[in-house]
Amino acid sequence: MMITMEGVVLKLPPSLRIIKPNPNRTNRTFRTATFASASAPAPLSTDPQLANTHENLIFVQELNGKRIVYLDNAATSQKPAAVLNALQEYYETYNSNVHRGIHYLREIVFTRNATEAINLVAYSWGLSNLKKGDEVVLTVAEHHSAIVPWQFVAQKTGAVLKFVSLTEDEVPDVEKLREILSSQTKLIVVHHVSNVLGLSDGKNEPGQTPSLLFLQASVLPIDQIVSWAHDVGAKVLVDACQSVPHMVVDVKSLDADFLVASSHKMCGPTGVGFLYGKSELLSAMPPFLGGGEMISDVYLDHSTFAEPPSSWNFYHLRFVPPRINKQIKVAFGDQKFVENQDGKRFEAGTPAIGEAIGLGAAVDYLSGIGMQKIHDYEVELANYLYDRLCSVPNVRVYGPPPSRTVNRAALCSFNVEDVHPTDLATFLDQQHSIAIRSGHHCAQPLHRYLGVNASARASLYFYNTKEDVDEFIRALNDTISFFASFK
Amino acid sequence: MSIATKIPHSLLFHHLSNPFLKSLKTLSFSSQQPLNSSSLSPSPSLQPVEELPPKLQEIIKLFQGGQEPKAKYEQLLFYGRNLNPLEPQYKTRENKVQGCVSQVWIRAYLDNDKNVMFEADSDSVLTKGLAALLVQGLSGRPVEEIVKVSPDFAVLLGLQQSLTPSRNNGFLNMLKLMQKKALQLYVEAEKADGSSSDVIEINELQNPNLVSNVDIENGGVKSNVIVNDLKKDLGNGNILGSRGLRIKETLEKELSPVELEVEDVSYQHAGHAGVRGSDGETHFNLKVVSQEFEGKSLVKRHRLIYSLLQDELQSGVHALSITAKTPAEVDSV
Repeated sequence: MMITMEGVVLKLPPSLRIIKPNPNRTNRTFRTATFASASAPAPLSTDPQLANTHENLIFVQELNGKRIVYLDNAATSQKPAAVLNALQEYYETYNSNVHRGIHYLREIVFTRNATEAINLVAYSWGLSNLKKGDEVVLTVAEHHSAIVPWQFVAQKTGAVLKFVSLTEDEVPDVEKLREILSSQTKLIVVHHVSNVLGLSDGKNEPGQTPSLLFLQASVLPIDQIVSWAHDVGAKVLVDACQSVPHMVVDVKSLDADFLVASSHKMCGPTGVGFLYGKSELLSAMPPFLGGGEMISDVYLDHSTFAEPPSSWNFYHLRFVPPRINKQIKVAFGDQKFVENQDGKRFEAGTPAIGEAIGLGAAVDYLSGIGMQKIHDYEVELANYLYDRLCSVPNVRVYGPPPSRTVNRAALCSFNVEDVHPTDLATFLDQQHSIAIRSGHHCAQPLHRYLGVNASARASLYFYNTKEDVDEFIRALNDTISFFASFK
Repeated sequence: MSIATKIPHSLLFHHLSNPFLKSLKTLSFSSQQPLNSSSLSPSPSLQPVEELPPKLQEIIKLFQGGQEPKAKYEQLLFYGRNLNPLEPQYKTRENKVQGCVSQVWIRAYLDNDKNVMFEADSDSVLTKGLAALLVQGLSGRPVEEIVKVSPDFAVLLGLQQSLTPSRNNGFLNMLKLMQKKALQLYVEAEKADGSSSDVIEINELQNPNLVSNVDIENGGVKSNVIVNDLKKDLGNGNILGSRGLRIKETLEKELSPVELEVEDVSYQHAGHAGVRGSDGETHFNLKVVSQEFEGKSLVKRHRLIYSLLQDELQSGVHALSITAKTPAEVDSV
């Protein structure tokens, strides 16, 4: 499939060649995708909605004469021209340190990334709400950023961390999680979609009641977990880094207390992420970082901080497109957020204005395609990837198999017997121009639990296609036989 | 490994033209930083190939042979396959290369002619190949030659493009570990021969190809960044384990010293009978200046310290080298 590209370019090694098309072309040519297997869907780029906007995609690169197949989207996503343009426009036109009118959503706090957002909750909410003996429940499959800040907090407060392990299907044991909950539990920290196991909230299946889902497949039902948590008086922090980019996340219906995600995994720029927090929680939390913007008055020996005002205030938005607010709303499924500046308290100093605008453009772009559409496409692609990968001999994929009730995310972490994942990734990268990731994927406890040092991971996004998967499998087979010949 | 050293700005810029220096600083400050191939373009200050150990020169020639990348992989794998297996008991933490994406272990020992012999292993075949290159290239050579090898030669292998940045970084860390181990063996051997301060020896091994003539703010002491690295790692003063800390605590509590120095010099004795099988904290240098020593003879002072550290002596400390003075004695010197 050929995609015309615009926009550019990171600093890349010299052997990398960027293919830049004639920017005056507005037509896009596509090889019609014909699939041998009925299970793979038509690539999204043939979608008529996309076909006419040449701002569309994601540049294509070549490495050593071969087109790069990018399968490391769980790490970071490619950026459409619209986002790059938004950034450029900001820095060329709007760049001055204006008041942060864009952050006038009470329940959204912009941070540098999801990691910072989790740290914010840990240091601000955790330190002032947890005491000795309180319990924080996590799973062994959490990302380091969801574990380490809580270790700090536990050390400082005397709170105890409890980890829920996996079932035989390599899914967090929800039954056990429910059992662990007690009046001592104050917080549950849990991922929505695992960046290794590919486990996803199976809620999207129409016509299935949640409890039925639970019995059949033990998927990670966030809304169930939240309701159990609230029953014992505990809060829930959801790590939605791998879910928000790929599906509709209705934070209000999940009823999560905190939710974090980052921009760069959803076609936005790096440098910005966000925390969603229920307004009553945020307004009770002490400041995280100290400095400008989050203060009310500053004296030599003390300062007062931004208080929630009794009526809402708009900052003057002269230089910032007001549609940012709308875009965030759209990303969250058109929730009704009350405007006011509690968020300010947690945003000291000059924020990543350009980047937040870039994020807005990304949200715009994704909404233009439609999150549900993206999700549906990815579910099918995920199944295709899983099936093809499992057909390769000596391959072991982690996480549950996809089924009627279990939706896998479009990623597979796997190991090949007798071949080190880094060897795989290096060879795939250098010889076949296929980008996957190897290592522990910031989930060392999970790998330890699975009994391995590292794994390889191929992760897709809506701009990947069946051809990408086919090529990956072809290259993987070649790679495996190369290393096998040296035994 | 990272060192908080301050390098005067002027010197920094002056030496920025030396690409190797630049990359070395990168290494010194953070072993996680990948080696940027573009910063290592061949320049006059590159170590001449002729100075490298002969086997290494051969290997470089072999890899330079204008092959396509796949052939280089095959070559690498071939080396790895021929590597002697490393016995499990040598796969220890001290032998593990830090900053490697896969697991790599290096073992070093001296042969009868005081040349350094290396053995290595890895769970990744590509890394094993890299390790094999180094083992083949450096084994059986004298310490001075090994320590002088500058990581530049990695460029000459032409593997930069075939390996990911983190792999290249791992290769460098392997070389560093091997050099460090070589140095360690040298120091031990010298100590065993009874020569004086190891500090002087380390300085004498200054590698002219590495950072030199850079004033590092260490009280104006001119030293070699790599050497500082090594000194620190060899435990020259700063890092105490739990036993060392206990010793320090006890002496502080019981003697209220005006001055107290506890130095763990166990590494100098690693390998001989008293140390084998212990957790490593076996030999200490103690310098204590305390009022408590007033009126006591030298023997009495030593006896006092030994009695305070009874528990440690019985649980593994092999020897203490003690300097015990009163404040008055120190002032009058």
